[in-house]
Amino acid sequence: MDKEVTYRVGIPVMGPRGETLGRLEKVLLTESRHLVTGLIVRALESLHILPLDRVTEVSASEIRTTVLPEEFHGFPVFDPTQYEEVPPWFFPPGHHIELGALVTIKPLDVREQGEHEAMSRRAFMGRSVAIVAAAIGVSLLVPIGGYIMAAATTPMKDSWRELGVKLQDLPFDEPVGHSFRAVSVSGWMRVPEEKSVWLIRHSGASDPASEPEDQVLGLDSPLELKDSDPRLTVLSPICPHLGCEPQWHKGQKLFICPCHHSIYQLNGNRIGGPAPRPMDTLPARIADDGAISVIYEQFAIGIAAKKRLA
Amino acid sequence: MGHKIFAYLDERIRISSLMGFLLNEPIPGGSRWAYIPGSMVFFVLILQFVTGMMLAFYYGGTPDHAWDSVNYIDHLTYNGVAVGRLIRGIHYWGSSIMVIAVGIHLLQVFLWGAYKRPREIMWLVGVLLLALTMTASFSGYLLPWDERAYWGTIVGTNMIGLVPFVGEVIKDAIRGGVGLGALTLSHFFTLHTMILPTLFILFVLLHMVIFRRVGPAGPFSGSPEKLEATKDTFYPRQVLMDSFGMLAIFIVILALAVLRPPELESVANPSNAAYSPTPAWYFDWIFELLKLIRPEIVGVVGLPVLIAIVLVFLPFVDRKPVRSPFRRPISVLSTLFVLSAMLGLSIMAENGYKKLVDVDRVAMVRGQGVFNTAGCIGCHTLFGKGGKVGPDLSEEGLVGHSEHWLTVQFLNSKAHFPDSIMPDFTYLTPQQQHDLAMYISSLGRMGWPDPTKTP
Ligand code: FES
Repeated sequence: MDKEVTYRVGIPVMGPRGETLGRLEKVLLTESRHLVTGLIVRALESLHILPLDRVTEVSASEIRTTVLPEEFHGFPVFDPTQYEEVPPWFFPPGHHIELGALVTIKPLDVREQGEHEAMSRRAFMGRSVAIVAAAIGVSLLVPIGGYIMAAATTPMKDSWRELGVKLQDLPFDEPVGHSFRAVSVSGWMRVPEEKSVWLIRHSGASDPASEPEDQVLGLDSPLELKDSDPRLTVLSPICPHLGCEPQWHKGQKLFICPCHHSIYQLNGNRIGGPAPRPMDTLPARIADDGAISVIYEQFAIGIAAKKRLA
Repeated sequence: MGHKIFAYLDERIRISSLMGFLLNEPIPGGSRWAYIPGSMVFFVLILQFVTGMMLAFYYGGTPDHAWDSVNYIDHLTYNGVAVGRLIRGIHYWGSSIMVIAVGIHLLQVFLWGAYKRPREIMWLVGVLLLALTMTASFSGYLLPWDERAYWGTIVGTNMIGLVPFVGEVIKDAIRGGVGLGALTLSHFFTLHTMILPTLFILFVLLHMVIFRRVGPAGPFSGSPEKLEATKDTFYPRQVLMDSFGMLAIFIVILALAVLRPPELESVANPSNAAYSPTPAWYFDWIFELLKLIRPEIVGVVGLPVLIAIVLVFLPFVDRKPVRSPFRRPISVLSTLFVLSAMLGLSIMAENGYKKLVDVDRVAMVRGQGVFNTAGCIGCHTLFGKGGKVGPDLSEEGLVGHSEHWLTVQFLNSKAHFPDSIMPDFTYLTPQQQHDLAMYISSLGRMGWPDPTKTP
């Protein structure tokens, strides 16, 4: 990085006979080597680059050079747009009067150990800083990542809930929307909530509607497969397209979603519309006395797979 | 690639000159380990910001949820790692360590004479930052809404109420009413998470701008020529030293967070008048001092005013330019006196508190088994369940009985209460006695149900 960095200074720059050439505007130095290469002198409206070897003397109040006024304008003109224009207030006070800077601008280690040695040491220290910073950063960010993900990945326990409905009370092949009270858990908060499911009673395994479509397609998880019964299909009320709630249309004997008109048959089979999969069946159990219990699962919407949410 | 990005940014936002400004700051006399406390304070502050934001992720700032949410955070795990407890532990210990780091920083600036002209304003901003740190500790104390938080805040705000004329009004304004309640909690939460961080950012920035304007004070001895000759830039040596300091303080905080995770006492119970609150350890000396000063009002008003006056007027009264502590015997001796007084008072205060048993969590779990099989619940109520013959034990761990006292109570309760009808559980083995004592000592302090495991 041999880019030249400039520092604003601000004292008169004199020729050999004591005539003012201009005012010191900046000091040009090579950053990586901490080497002053020249002075920028402002004379009226133009800036000139004065090589450092023409400087004879630097004091707190002035800089003397061997440059004659007449030859001064022969020096290359400094183009401010090519360099940093740092506003003067940006520098700490005292910086611009620190004329020793021209002599001692090299850091201590560079002066003591020589350019090469010091630079490799500095690089080593720079790397050490980076390692320490990375060590702190990683050991802080990893737990934080886990902390943020912890709530998102807290597993939900499957809980069976009794719906308070008995199988024998349901009509055959006619979906019944059943609402029940559930508790939704969000972190430390438990909120009572109204949930609903579709209950569809079938006459038995011989009923063609008794096999839900997602079972046919092999979308079911082992849990749903294990707890399925040919006498009953329990459908989630949530449309797998974008989450609206399909309604049962008695006359047509179809579920039709009001949002984008996905159309499903009694067993959840999609026969039209944008939904990517059939309606989702839920695991259900029927007790000896016909009491129905279900697990209210929720699934990702908008995808072909029946992927359970957490 | 990195080079290209750098060049791109440099052209647009002049990043190299900015970096140069930030990193090439001249340090008269060269880099020193003595200069790291300021950076350490800054680091802990950032750590508090980051972990605080994380806690706010899951915190519920109302009395009916605050405690539950903190308990929830305590139970958050990820891949078996108790990340929630870790983050809260870092924030909890971070606040203590920050008070220490600020204290060291202040002490060093004082001993180095670095507050003297022309650095008076920087010192004043520092004093303000100290006040912000203390306010942050005080306001954060209430947020878990457990017994300690509630009663500690009752006492703290009551003290404000003692200030003549305006005290009552200020107290009620802080509390958001006469009593401690939902408004107090949201006031404190807002203060802790919005007002204070804003002020911190503002004044830390001001502190640093002034620092760069006026430059580092450098060592207190050495001629200007020598300091000039040994001048070094901030980067890389001082930066490296600072980063080691930060790493060290980070390791300390992490170790404390892992080895001594913060406790959560049972949820604030405004009717538990038996609870005796203790202040955070760094207020211990004030607590003890206030007990000595009578009438009370003199201490409550006088002490903070005195501290504020000393700190604020110090650089304007002490105007001799001499900086070396070896040539300022009065300053150094009075510092030593104040420090040892603070230490002595703190020790006295700590000795005055009832020591709660250090609970061994493994024995605690075994003790719960003993509690259940021995039939204690037949007579004693625990968290709303159980018999009413014996006293409610839900907060028994906060009472402060020693393990010995508890063991005697199990085996021969008539030794403590001659009329006691509690049976003597003499069949308990010494191991079981120990485990049961641990469990009883934990009641009201830890072992809360895990809200992440939903039934
Ligand atoms: S949400 Fe049902 S079809 Fe789009």
